[in-house]
Amino acid sequence: MRGIALCLAAVMRTKLAEQMAYRSHFALSVLLLVIGDLVVPFVTLLVYNAGASFPGWTLHEALLVQAVFTLAKGIAFPFFFGMVGTTLSQVREGTFDLLLLRPRPVMMMAILTGFDPDDFGRLISGSVLFGVALSGLSIPSGFAWLQFVLLFIASIAILCAVSLFLSGMLFRWVGSSRVFDIFDAVTRFGMYPGTIYSKSVQNLLTYVLPVGLIAFVPATALLGRSGWGTLWALLPAAGILLLGGLFWNRMLRGYTSAGG
Amino acid sequence: MVISRISAVIRAIGFATYKEWAAFRSHMAASLLVGPVLFLVQVFIWQAMYDGRETLNGLSYAQMLSYFGVATLIHYISFDFADWNLQMLVRSGKFVTFALRPLPHWLFALAQKLGHRSLALYVEVLPVMLLFIFVFGVNMKPAAPCPAILSILLSFLMNFLVNYCVGLTAFWLVRAEGVRRVFLLLKDVSAGVFIPLSFFPDILQKILFFLPFQFITYLPTRVYIGHYELAGMELTLGQAVGLQAAAVAVMAALTLALYSAALRRFTGVGV
Repeated sequence: MRGIALCLAAVMRTKLAEQMAYRSHFALSVLLLVIGDLVVPFVTLLVYNAGASFPGWTLHEALLVQAVFTLAKGIAFPFFFGMVGTTLSQVREGTFDLLLLRPRPVMMMAILTGFDPDDFGRLISGSVLFGVALSGLSIPSGFAWLQFVLLFIASIAILCAVSLFLSGMLFRWVGSSRVFDIFDAVTRFGMYPGTIYSKSVQNLLTYVLPVGLIAFVPATALLGRSGWGTLWALLPAAGILLLGGLFWNRMLRGYTSAGG
Repeated sequence: MVISRISAVIRAIGFATYKEWAAFRSHMAASLLVGPVLFLVQVFIWQAMYDGRETLNGLSYAQMLSYFGVATLIHYISFDFADWNLQMLVRSGKFVTFALRPLPHWLFALAQKLGHRSLALYVEVLPVMLLFIFVFGVNMKPAAPCPAILSILLSFLMNFLVNYCVGLTAFWLVRAEGVRRVFLLLKDVSAGVFIPLSFFPDILQKILFFLPFQFITYLPTRVYIGHYELAGMELTLGQAVGLQAAAVAVMAALTLALYSAALRRFTGVGV
């Protein structure tokens, strides 16, 4: 554990130093992420201002779902999601071999080298949005907060699993940057209240492709709309994380490097 | 004579790009998953929003789906990465080889785009269009085919010109990727990719009316559907396409001026 912490600290120092070489670019990237994350809430605001709404959801409740989604990305992206980009480029260039030679587990090294400080910008937009959403709601109970924290951990676990799946795919589907588009498309379902989907789609988004667990389920818990039964959602989250790890290792075995 | 030589050059570059990208068909074919999935989300969102109401900001549910369906196809047709490409060439120094050629780089980039998007027509545009029509039941029939086609062609050019101007910032900035990404995001918001511009507050609509971005997505989509309205101004389809053509001409002049200023600034090994 101490070794992992030391590695992470070393990577964070290096990446931050790298970003500081292009400070204006770093600032703009953070700004971009803040603006980018606020686009969907902005669209939601425009639609509510036009007099429409998601049935059964006030503006602040709908924004809460989007805030939780952004917050989850704000934690998962800097720490896990960068591995998708690094796998994409390193497998294509053939430099992924260097990770195989290091005296640490390959998955850990792939995650560590993907560390991306830019993505902390999402924490800013998520926190601002979270504050705005909560300002229009009654204060959640302690029980709701406890449920929320547990489900939020599940949410991050799901995003970590998705990173593993996408990164694993890139050992076979070499150099395809479209995995980012696929991620955006599939997780888009998780940015809106789950009740707008049909029952079958809701079940699909909870138990099969659990993107509903990224934001909708934790937000529902915080709103006090669910009981302890919701914590069953932790199981699919743990399951998909385990599957993600197995998938990644399986795909790694198929990595052929430049020599075939 | 000059025109036939230029068109031969464009055809040759376009065809080479077409063949190059045909080797990466699966990259483009990912749109067959991405486009319909994103559209499915829109279907659910607007189904919920239209619950108990006939119209929203003057658009019916069917028109709203058509808007997003057509906007998606226009996005695929006019998709462009001239900005990224140009910035990469400038940053890596590879632009030197283009500075020495007897062909302006903007024309080369336009020819590349023509080849790239020709491939997209049958790998992305047509299959996604068929999915929209037969799976989602979206009305994809243009209200008036001639203005719609003309407007999409102008949108193709406008997107190229705007992106190329963004790419030209690389001649002034050391690392322009951040600027590029911020600008492109704002461009998409201002073009009506995420929501029709008629949903924006009046003051923003008035500003957006005079910016070039609406001519990339919003205007061609509304022309395709058959009714254009923004900032309280209603135009006939002919007027709308005429306005778009004028905006493209202004943008082209601006791009050429910026391009020559950029070339004067360019320094490279041996240049």
